[in-house]
Amino acid sequence: MKMLQKALLAVATLAIAAMPALAAQPKLVFGSDCTYPPMEMLDKDKKIVGFDIDMIQAVAKAGGFEAVVKNVAWDGIFAGLTAGDYDAVLSAVTITEERERTMDFSNPYVDAGQVLIVNKNLNGLTLLSQFGGRKVGAQIGTTGAIEVMKFKNIKLKSYDEAGLAVEDLYVGRIDAVVVDSPTAKSYVLQNARYKGKLKIVGDLFTDEHYGIALKKGNTKALAMINRGLEIIKKDGTLAKLAHKWLD
Amino acid sequence: MTNPAPAAAKPGGKSLPPGGPTKDSMHLAESSLIPGDAETIAAWKIAFFGAIAVLVILPIWRPSPFLEIMSFVPDGLIATFTVTFASICIALLLGLLAGLGRIARTTIINRIATVYVEVVRGIPLLVHLFYIYYALGPLLHLNGFMSAIAALSFCYGAYLAEIFRAGLQSIHKGQMEAALALGMSRTQALWKIILPQTIRVILPPIGNEFIALLKDSSLVSILAVSDLLRRGREYASTTFFYLEAYTVVALIYLVMTLFLSRLVGLMEERLRTHGRKNN
Repeated sequence: MKMLQKALLAVATLAIAAMPALAAQPKLVFGSDCTYPPMEMLDKDKKIVGFDIDMIQAVAKAGGFEAVVKNVAWDGIFAGLTAGDYDAVLSAVTITEERERTMDFSNPYVDAGQVLIVNKNLNGLTLLSQFGGRKVGAQIGTTGAIEVMKFKNIKLKSYDEAGLAVEDLYVGRIDAVVVDSPTAKSYVLQNARYKGKLKIVGDLFTDEHYGIALKKGNTKALAMINRGLEIIKKDGTLAKLAHKWLD
Repeated sequence: MTNPAPAAAKPGGKSLPPGGPTKDSMHLAESSLIPGDAETIAAWKIAFFGAIAVLVILPIWRPSPFLEIMSFVPDGLIATFTVTFASICIALLLGLLAGLGRIARTTIINRIATVYVEVVRGIPLLVHLFYIYYALGPLLHLNGFMSAIAALSFCYGAYLAEIFRAGLQSIHKGQMEAALALGMSRTQALWKIILPQTIRVILPPIGNEFIALLKDSSLVSILAVSDLLRRGREYASTTFFYLEAYTVVALIYLVMTLFLSRLVGLMEERLRTHGRKNN
């Protein structure tokens, strides 16, 4: 019993001692699926890098909080948010009506949309609707996969990671991959393996915006993030980062 | 994943059957359905009919999402079935060949079979799947289905080989000697005298491997093969009904494995009574 009291006292003391520090610099943990270049990925030293990562550090600095990014798998990423494994999902999340029903979103920070990646030798097919009877790949649970599901005659192959879908396209087991435009550009234009073998066809066929997803009702964190976002939008930091990672 | 756990069979001697040190404990393998054990059968009935009852009640109680899930996953069920069945057939053939190879007297055959078993058993099934599909993809051009079947049968062939080997070695050497004394060739004796007896010994542990294979087939969902688990994941990933989708998936797997384990149990029972008459 005495031990318990002592332990409780110690915890209480620690909590009180830590409080001012916490109040000065609250910490927010962000869940991110780091298999999605150029938004978030691991570099050679297993460090998490990418547009989202640089952006959130700038937002944190401007918004007055500490940002920690945690690498998690995409499938189940929103379940982890509900379970409280992290405070927010920072993973190139498209803001959709359906998602807004279960989560709160920050203000949009990047405009993106879905594009088609196909083999360089495939000509004449530029719209998703032309892929009836063919196999089209997308990452599970992404807006890309949802778009493909709208066409009942297209065989959707869903992958755990966008990169696995692109690899399967490269090998020739599927006919196209639907993916967000920044990621498509990163694979087709910058990846040494796929450069010259794959191409992006057609225009953006969805109008999408990335936002940071938070658990419904977490207004305090939402306000901090939105405040930081507004500041880096105004002072040009966001545009600079977009130029660095997305062009 | 189950290991066949081959008993340390003494070559030629009165050795041990696979799965355990004595003939009786062999039946305590994964299904642990001891025929005639009223308690086990009662437990089986509760699990089996309980799972079916829940699967029927859920969509009636809450049509959305349960009815939606159940209309979403059936083609995944077919995929799971196809992959499992095809893998079982090929694995049996591979296992028999490698098992015979393991007891072969020709050094080269013996060596090949032993290396195959040792190498495959040392690599996780999930790694096999990734390897055949993604690493060897540019060379082999196998589609997801074929890769899944290749990986599963390659792996389970090695597990089954150990069961075949232990089973073959469990037959008293007097049987072979008697057959040879009657003028049979070694091959003849193997096919007509040893193998038929072996099959009686190894059928139950092989049945257990089938059940394990059915469960392991859920791993193929990582190859974008739309099996039962993948369909459940696809549904959950866009609707966020994780609890509901995985509950249905788990119950369907449970019904399938319980059904199979009962089949294995019945088979054991029949073989045992049949065996007694003969001995």
